[in-house]
Amino acid sequence: MDLIHPPSKGDVVEVLRSASADAQRVLIVGGRQHMDKGNPSEIDAELWTTQLDALVSYEPAEMVAVVEAGMRFADLDRILSAGDQEWPADAPGDATVGGIIAAAVTSPRRLRVGALRDTVLEVELVTGDGRLIRGGAKVVKNVTGYDLPRFVAGSLGTLGAVVQVALKVRPRPKSRRTLIWRTDDAIELGLRLLEKVPSPTSVLATSTSVEVRLEGWPDAVAAQTRAAADVSRDLGTTDEGAFPSRAPWLASPIVAEVSAAPSRLQAVLAAHAGSNWGALVGVGIAWIGLDSEEALARLRDEVAVDAIAPVVKGPGGLGASPPAPTVHRRLKAAFDPAGVLAPGRFWGEEA
Amino acid sequence: MTAIDTAREALSQALAPERILSDPLELSLYARDASMFEGGCTLVALPLSTAEVAACLRIARDHQMFVVPRGSGTGLAGAAVPFGDTLVVATTKMNQVLEIRTEDRLAWVQPGVINLDLVDELRPLGFTFAPDPSSQQVCSVGGNVGTNAGGPHCLAYGVTSSHILAVEIALPDGAIEVFGSEGPEWPGYDMRGLVVGSEGTLGIVTRICVRLVPLATAVRTMLLDFTTVEDCAATVSAIIAAGVIPAALEMMDQLVTGAIENYVHAGYPTDAAAVLLVEVDGLTESVEAQATAVASAAHANDVRNVRVAETEVERELLWRGRKSAFGATAQIAPDYHLHDCVVPRTKLATVLTDVYEIVRRNDLKVLNVFHAGDGNLHPLLVFDRREPGALDRVLQASEEIVRLCVQAGGALSGEHGIGLEKRDFMPLVFNDTDLGAQACLRDAFDPGGRMNPQKVLPSSARCGDHIALRGNDAASNDLPEGTWI
Repeated sequence: MDLIHPPSKGDVVEVLRSASADAQRVLIVGGRQHMDKGNPSEIDAELWTTQLDALVSYEPAEMVAVVEAGMRFADLDRILSAGDQEWPADAPGDATVGGIIAAAVTSPRRLRVGALRDTVLEVELVTGDGRLIRGGAKVVKNVTGYDLPRFVAGSLGTLGAVVQVALKVRPRPKSRRTLIWRTDDAIELGLRLLEKVPSPTSVLATSTSVEVRLEGWPDAVAAQTRAAADVSRDLGTTDEGAFPSRAPWLASPIVAEVSAAPSRLQAVLAAHAGSNWGALVGVGIAWIGLDSEEALARLRDEVAVDAIAPVVKGPGGLGASPPAPTVHRRLKAAFDPAGVLAPGRFWGEEA
Repeated sequence: MTAIDTAREALSQALAPERILSDPLELSLYARDASMFEGGCTLVALPLSTAEVAACLRIARDHQMFVVPRGSGTGLAGAAVPFGDTLVVATTKMNQVLEIRTEDRLAWVQPGVINLDLVDELRPLGFTFAPDPSSQQVCSVGGNVGTNAGGPHCLAYGVTSSHILAVEIALPDGAIEVFGSEGPEWPGYDMRGLVVGSEGTLGIVTRICVRLVPLATAVRTMLLDFTTVEDCAATVSAIIAAGVIPAALEMMDQLVTGAIENYVHAGYPTDAAAVLLVEVDGLTESVEAQATAVASAAHANDVRNVRVAETEVERELLWRGRKSAFGATAQIAPDYHLHDCVVPRTKLATVLTDVYEIVRRNDLKVLNVFHAGDGNLHPLLVFDRREPGALDRVLQASEEIVRLCVQAGGALSGEHGIGLEKRDFMPLVFNDTDLGAQACLRDAFDPGGRMNPQKVLPSSARCGDHIALRGNDAASNDLPEGTWI
């Protein structure tokens, strides 16, 4: 297998142009942090984006950072912290910005920070046949043409190689706190906390605990803490460290990400009482630790149609899926006419 | 029997005769939206259901008619203006809120539901639908989806796309698809995201799953007034730089506040060069902290007065002033042309200075009332179209303003859309390859080029020759002779 490590956008254009001409199948690789998302794909070459890691512009008063897509998340976070701001992806430090966007990573703080795709203001993308295209704009609000940035978010490198992005960033919280309860009935407690605690940043229920993340002005965090204590006094508090404090599902050989209407998630989790899991209450995302591919197959049977179970860790990918709608197939054909980008990796595609 | 007659007959059978309009007087009501363009159509259909919308699209296809979807017709960029042998499908009668599920923080609505009606229905439940365009008393949720509508409170809460979980859409061939999901993620590409803001060029949205946002516990509304426009604009950046994202941050210049005071008596100081209407929300404690930070940012930039609304009545009055601004302009001149460019917010002061200069040079008047926090300018050029040459001067100044904003690193539109108004400016911000890719996106949904032709993309934009998606009956993108502006 070839390893291609282009130093410039122009080189990415050349690489993909000739890959399409030669029917060379290519996997776009950033920091290798989300490789299990999507189905396994047979490829002839890996295209590494990590040399495209320049900061293009960052003006804190604009709340916009423009970076090349191969920049590591930790490097971006360091740059933004100088402006007391953050891009709230909460991804591993080695992950690249482009990889995080292509994988549409869900932050554990999604209840407050929203969907990752909503933070992508502009993308530059090299399509499968080597066209460098740009969509969106470097301003926080824009409806000029079709929404290419959101379209590319979550496409797992099957539409093109993201080479540069403009990101909407946000102020770093003035203060932060995690409240922790030990409980066997985490969803029920999580729902009560969601109802009673005003504007939490996250309510994470796990197989054995509830963690509530609070972020904001110190007085507000204090008031939120009091409201949480009114719901259940039996809590531990930490103002230090990462959120969540523990993610036991990550210890399992396979971790599946489930997305469904929040109330529907409860039934799915009840069927996995013996597993390690974490669920974003009020959001509808859960990560379920699984022991075997048989367990993953059973989970897929349980969550059909509007709930997906991409694997974020371990074998299994997206699994079998219904055929993609015609529009979906046409879109793929328009951006990757020779079908060289990770064939079969994405939903509804034949390998 | 002409083709139009047979189309009308088929539509009458599929829907109901009284919901198919073909009388010239009735048709003329659908020839315009809230932009300056005027077109014309051959038939109007008023469907009640998804199945009826699909029938409209199939009948249009079978009779080689173009289709223009329409909500309440409040769009400002001409996206709902029809031309030629066109069937207008107006979704105004599809106005049912189908389901509200607060436990899932979502609601399913038909596209014709009025934005404010939905907000009013959600309020007693402790939730809201966040997009709040100034037209929210009359604009529809379907129209909000079509334009990816904004509004003052999108600064903190995000534009419409952030609040749409799923759309059911009737594609140009009448096929029904649901894009997105009741859950936060879904299988496949974000075709939901492509449909939002597509200005009726990809299909007709027939059901919408909107995300519900909990109402804030506390809110505080402040009016800051300044003796110079520059200080006012600098305060906008200073507030953001202090780490505060207000729920809304609206700027109005002196001509606007004067007009508003005559009209609704909102209590705005008419001697100020510019005012900022700032709203912060959240917990009581965080509102307090944000308000203090806003006031100190303003004091650092020589604010003259910081007024805090003491009562709900006072707060509503301050907002009524802002939301009445466009109506208030009628005192100054009978017509207006409203712009919607976005610039980096640190360039607001210099861009505004240049806007005033452009307007002076073209012997016009401008009122500036806009979403300053987003850098989303709304220069309102007021004029009397009966005055010879006035419209030409407005169009000249408009083009200069667009070029100015693009040069400042901005975007053509923040929330109104491209439609017809800005279509031919698209090459200012995108090259041929970029526009070709946009044409590919469009063709994937509408290979026949039948949906709302002539809108959004200039005629030069074509999906690459190597990708044969577009059918032979593709619409010409040129405007017909005699189009009225």
